[in-house]
Amino acid sequence: MNRLHRLRAPLALAACAGLLAACSSGGGKTSSSQLVYTSVDATNPITAGAPMNPFNASGNYFPSYDTMQLGFDKQNPKDPDDFFPGLAASWTISSTGITVKLQPGAKWSDGTPVTPADIKLSMAIALTQGSATVGAGFLTQGLDVGSVTEVDASTVQIDQAAGGTNLNFARLVLGQYIVPSSVYGSLVPSSIWSTIDDLASADSATASAAVTKLNAIGKAVSAFSPAKDVSAGPFVIARVNPGSAELTRNPDFYALSKIVPSEVILRHFSGNSDIWGYMKSGELDSAPYTSMPTNILDSVLKTGYTRVDSASFVDAAIAFNESDAPYGQAAVRQALAYVIDRQAVTKVGEPVGGTAASDLTGMVESATKQWLTPSQISSLNPYSPDQTKAASLLTGAGFKKSGSQWLLPDGTPWKITLQTVSGFSDWNAAATVVSSELDSFGIPTQVKLTSDFATYKTDMAAGKYAVGFWLIALGPSASAAYQRLYGQDDGYTANANGTVTHADGGGNWQHTPTSYTVNGTAIDPGLLTAQLATLSATAQQTQVQQLALATNEQMPVIPIWDYTNVNFTYDKRFTDFPGASSPDINGLMYNQPGVWMMQGYVKAK
Amino acid sequence: MTTLRVLTRRPGRVIGLLILLLFALMAVAGPSLYSGTLAVDPNAIYSSPSSQHWLGTDFAGSDVLQEIVVGARYVLETAALSALFTAVIGTAVGLVAGYHRGPADSALMRLTDFVLTIPGLPLLIVLSTIWSFGQPYEMAIALGVTGWGGVARAVRSQTLSLRERGFLEAARGLGLSSRHVIVRELLPNLAPFVAMNMLLAVIAFMGAEVALFFLGVVPFSSSNWGVMLNQAVFSGGAMDSPAALSYLLAPLVCILLITIGIVLFLDAVDELFNPRLRERP
Repeated sequence: MNRLHRLRAPLALAACAGLLAACSSGGGKTSSSQLVYTSVDATNPITAGAPMNPFNASGNYFPSYDTMQLGFDKQNPKDPDDFFPGLAASWTISSTGITVKLQPGAKWSDGTPVTPADIKLSMAIALTQGSATVGAGFLTQGLDVGSVTEVDASTVQIDQAAGGTNLNFARLVLGQYIVPSSVYGSLVPSSIWSTIDDLASADSATASAAVTKLNAIGKAVSAFSPAKDVSAGPFVIARVNPGSAELTRNPDFYALSKIVPSEVILRHFSGNSDIWGYMKSGELDSAPYTSMPTNILDSVLKTGYTRVDSASFVDAAIAFNESDAPYGQAAVRQALAYVIDRQAVTKVGEPVGGTAASDLTGMVESATKQWLTPSQISSLNPYSPDQTKAASLLTGAGFKKSGSQWLLPDGTPWKITLQTVSGFSDWNAAATVVSSELDSFGIPTQVKLTSDFATYKTDMAAGKYAVGFWLIALGPSASAAYQRLYGQDDGYTANANGTVTHADGGGNWQHTPTSYTVNGTAIDPGLLTAQLATLSATAQQTQVQQLALATNEQMPVIPIWDYTNVNFTYDKRFTDFPGASSPDINGLMYNQPGVWMMQGYVKAK
Repeated sequence: MTTLRVLTRRPGRVIGLLILLLFALMAVAGPSLYSGTLAVDPNAIYSSPSSQHWLGTDFAGSDVLQEIVVGARYVLETAALSALFTAVIGTAVGLVAGYHRGPADSALMRLTDFVLTIPGLPLLIVLSTIWSFGQPYEMAIALGVTGWGGVARAVRSQTLSLRERGFLEAARGLGLSSRHVIVRELLPNLAPFVAMNMLLAVIAFMGAEVALFFLGVVPFSSSNWGVMLNQAVFSGGAMDSPAALSYLLAPLVCILLITIGIVLFLDAVDELFNPRLRERP
């Protein structure tokens, strides 16, 4: 008895250790039949206890694994409707809408088929999630669905609201989350489509009442917590722990033969360094883009990861509030562009995932190359670092230098507060270099941090910052890129009749002029930008070129670096990952590994 | 002479004093020693310690030693001011409450209880969304105003004990004013206790302010010790790669040295203010 008593503690410890080992779910093969794929969903961190609902702000849902769309964006700058098939096997786009043929055999994980009714419900729900406005925001980035019609059991036609001519309509439809009507149907009243029709009513009271109704439905949908995950994707959520989400292969998935892993584990992370730690221990089979320094890159590569670079249609820039003196003067912005050494800033801020911006057109370099002719590109001002040019521009604008410090035309010392966001390590590191360069030039610059990005965006929109970091060139299309510069943030609202309204208040923090002169021709950048959404890719050329040349000359923002989408794959447990030479690599890397698997990538080693 | 003798009695005390003097000098003269802004060198990011850069370089190729020296002023000024605020407010509240007792004591102690329940760091994080904390005194006010509760309670206890002593009964019997009794009789007796609390508070406040910068919720300045820790851990990968290790360790070692300096020096302070300790062989 006594001996047994003494053994009790070690035995208990051994039992605990065994239990822990059995419960641990590291990557790789856990048994001969288990192939576990481990990764991180960088855009959708795990929130323990949050509902498994793609419409919940912090919901646990994982696009391409358990949450499906009709298609997945290939990030083609010249063809915005170029998508990988998702629940849609094929589609036909017309001037007024899109007809979608669903995947044969597409089923939910409860065994029921995916039907046009699910698509119709999902489009209605999408309209309740912030897209609902009076007039439905024609010509902008609004979804503007007018009707969804079942053509047959596997074909559905989705049309724009009457009068809509949004060329982005098809891509917006293809990118919506599709949810089962068996789970979400009870949350949406059967009269929702007549409410949606009311949005475009000439009677403002009817339209406003419709917005109120849709917003109320939207709130109910986003708060909804399904009892279990019902997925039409390759995986279905088995459980969500604070440290990871476990998804098992969906036996009802329409292309099950392509899906090799039997389980997917998505690790929780609270910062980039967590992801670096997972990679250093070889735990992740693929890792998303994280802003990383070269020393971490080296150690990750040493572990055995392969770096996969692809284009990222995002650019980090320094933006101005032109209503704040002296940033309303083009000469001032141009002078600052000459002072900032973008190569040096990029080397510090984004050494692995960025390349110094070279063309400064408001689009990333790869997009600029596609839209502008070689002679136009060679005519662009590269704003190579040149303090003499900067000084001459400032002197010409009435600035004076007293000792080592520049004075504003009114004689007061010129000081800059460069705003950035806490936690955005690349922006903060870059801001250090920018402030050092501006200091050396004679403009004392203080870097200030806003505590979080949500507050930053609110403060930016309220015009609280004169100079701050900002993301531009968002999305592969020129239309999306210029919306960022000459859209809502610049006071432009696109109207249904193809015109634009410009207002100085309400969200206009950029305050650029409504007229630029390009090669002797006056253009309205907001009007041209709005028109881009109504023109086919081939018809956009002239407008895009005008906007690019005007942006290069006027410098409403100073682009610093184009992001590179640097992903990592680890071929110790799986092989046949997408690589640099894979077709549509930009689109593959833009999407999660679930899309890679649906495309036939990722095999057992 | 007594002070010198007490200080030199143990070598640790001298070392403690020297450490504190070194950092005080750094805080006073550091920024003038390296005037202007930190030089950046994108070609020497996270370089190892060398004759040119004794403690290596940071994420922008700036000299880590220079950042430590320049950053000392904010850290130490804030910690010293916070400790001063704490000592002044805590002592005043504790003295008045302990001496007067009754309703004044009850009211002041409820106020103290309230201050003690305020969670310091979360409050500072919330405050940082409103204040920029760009100047040391701003953070010192925030830290000091929320940190005096413990001192007030301790001073009150000491006061309650002292007020029963004969010399205070004599003072009261002579009809001396409360102000005279508190300032001239009680305060000198409490001064050693308050001084030691103040030095310990410097350590606590230094940790609190550096933690706030480390969390990245207050202004970014690459020469601030807390920001250095933040950058080293969250963007330099110091926990995953040795390249940024000296950048991480430099501010940590400084904080450790100051803590050791204060603890060693406290030993001397204790003996200086407590004659009974001096009598020991």
